Amino acid sequence: MGNLYLVDRPFGANGLALAVRDGDAIVALIQDGVYLDTAELQKAGRRVYAIQRDVERRGYGPRLAEGVKQIGFEELVDLIVANKVVNFA
Amino acid sequence: MAQKHVLVTMNHAPYGSIYYTEGLRAVVGVTSGIDEHTVDVLYLGDGAYYALKGVDRRDSLKYLGTLEKLGARLKVERESLQRLQLSESELAEDIEVISRDQALDLIRRADVTIDF
Repeated sequence: MGNLYLVDRPFGANGLALAVRDGDAIVALIQDGVYLDTAELQKAGRRVYAIQRDVERRGYGPRLAEGVKQIGFEELVDLIVANKVVNFA
Repeated sequence: MAQKHVLVTMNHAPYGSIYYTEGLRAVVGVTSGIDEHTVDVLYLGDGAYYALKGVDRRDSLKYLGTLEKLGARLKVERESLQRLQLSESELAEDIEVISRDQALDLIRRADVTIDF
């Protein structure tokens, strides 16, 4: 079981700063969280997901960092069930 | 429902919103009830402004009094203080400064995290 950081933008910096240092971190960007810079996370080897609907509504797909996997709500629920949620949303 | 250990992170600066005081009210709520959940309170990011000793605590004092009786200490992340250029000498005496690694330990120990 990993630590699933659910991250929206308002607290995004706080959550991502912890997730970078957390070897068990998995990050799911939701709502305005899709705008966050994930370079440090990816450099640290963390898995990073973004909610596809939130990306598409914002027209942000072309700007999303390579390696950030877009997922739907069903996959998000699976992640929530399988991991401990650390909420920054 | 069995006893759980809950980490509450406070991410909003005091004043301008109700989060900082509603968060503390929620912390007291978490510790109430038959399950006797235990709690850590951690100030992160702009939330670290609450740690300043000059902050007017009148609207959160009753919650802090309850938490003190329960032995729950307020903690602030050192890296957040540094980002805000706050020195530890500027902080209230009841605030404990912890490192980001220690903050991660709190996350690992927690069964549940809640953010305000």
